[in-house]
Amino acid sequence: MSQYAGSGPTVYDPMTLPVDDNVNKYTFCVELKGSQWFLQKGKMIAYYGSMEFNGIGHGRLDRLVRTSFHSPLHASDWVVAEGSGKMLLADRAFDVNSYDLEDGNLTIRSGNLLAFQPTLALKQSIVPGFLTLIGTGKFVAASNGPVVFMEPPIRVDPQALVGWADCPSPCHHYDHAYMTGLMGGLRAMTGIGGASGEEHQFEFVGAGTVLLQSSEALMAEQATGVVPHEPGVPSGGGSPTGPAQQAGAPRLPGQLGDLQRRFGL
Amino acid sequence: MAFTEINSKMIQATVMPGQRLYSQRGAMLAYKGEVSFTPNIQGGQGGVMSMLGRRVANEATPLMTVEGSGTVMFGHGGHHIQIINLTGDTLYVEADRLLAFEGTLRQGTMFMGSQGGVMGMVRGQVTGQGLFTTTLQGQGAVAVMAHGGVFEVPITPGRPVHVDPQAYVAHHGDVRNKLSAALGWRDMVGRGSGEAFQLELSGNGAVYVQASEEKL
Repeated sequence: MSQYAGSGPTVYDPMTLPVDDNVNKYTFCVELKGSQWFLQKGKMIAYYGSMEFNGIGHGRLDRLVRTSFHSPLHASDWVVAEGSGKMLLADRAFDVNSYDLEDGNLTIRSGNLLAFQPTLALKQSIVPGFLTLIGTGKFVAASNGPVVFMEPPIRVDPQALVGWADCPSPCHHYDHAYMTGLMGGLRAMTGIGGASGEEHQFEFVGAGTVLLQSSEALMAEQATGVVPHEPGVPSGGGSPTGPAQQAGAPRLPGQLGDLQRRFGL
Repeated sequence: MAFTEINSKMIQATVMPGQRLYSQRGAMLAYKGEVSFTPNIQGGQGGVMSMLGRRVANEATPLMTVEGSGTVMFGHGGHHIQIINLTGDTLYVEADRLLAFEGTLRQGTMFMGSQGGVMGMVRGQVTGQGLFTTTLQGQGAVAVMAHGGVFEVPITPGRPVHVDPQAYVAHHGDVRNKLSAALGWRDMVGRGSGEAFQLELSGNGAVYVQASEEKL
């Protein structure tokens, strides 16, 4: 069989599996040699070798969590893989890619991050629903369609944003031009005529890289935990899912509501 | 060439002052420069009568007008995108498959019955097009969405192309299409091949077929 190139699917064994690289667009292979990886629960699809998967909070991992896992409030979503062998990661046939950070920082939508090396530190971003990775190391992220890298200045649809690196935080951009004039006034008052669906974007300026996914279908949101309720913390004390969805909540076209926002109050 | 493909699910459009693009509402992914997005109540070109026509024909997809200067990225729902450049001929496509098109194209609505009478109407029902379909005519580029990848099958005189009605996306050129039924007693007793209806396209042009039998 093997003399016919492309006669069937490639059969991998522990020796031929790639080391810390993509097996195909949807699967990523991680090699463990006594090292550790953080991964989101349920993203491991197969492994060779001897590994153990421990939930975070396990006494032995306390030190590791202290150095590289700084969002204790959603620790229950993560496990640490330890041992030696090769591990395959995938997430519902979304495109999977690995990224290398060198003494850098990258903020990513919480649902898109699959796994990361403990040399990176994971922290909650002050933007709700996003996580920030700081340090040097490799991480694996999923996206709906290939990821496209863009340079600021750029305005991005909230649903198409995967993350950003080395950028100042994004700000909200509201397009009010669609409400000006007689028809715009009517639209704003009655909702008749509908919204373009593009009156709200995230705006990025400065130097850095913005990561886009090429379609507007979102991946399932991962709870990032509740931030402590204290003055000065954005959306502190909110419900775990509430604040994250507030920003890019899909609104029905022509919906009368958010009057305060529409009038800029 | 207003549209360039970034990858199979994302296109980039260049907007220049004085040029206008139409796109499906909510399909913008990102943009650079000063670009404005205006909801288009009329759902496309023409006046109020055109709008009424589209409403009646159920070909009124929420569109928005894109104007200004800059570049815009479009994509929608993870669907594959095919860019079709028209050079004077007419593209027949369902309105909800339209992701974006240039303002230089003339938009119209066509009654399926005008191509083959009653059989044309039956054809519309089978392909899921309904009684009406949208036409775009002139010089310019169109971005069409499809489920799965899209491939183009050229149609030359004397060599008709048969397409599964569910996999049909769009066609352009001087093409006659008819529904060919291969119904036999097997279909009546529920032992058919599942391919009883085919779309037969003949003439001169091209048909776009998606690699999936799922409608949008």
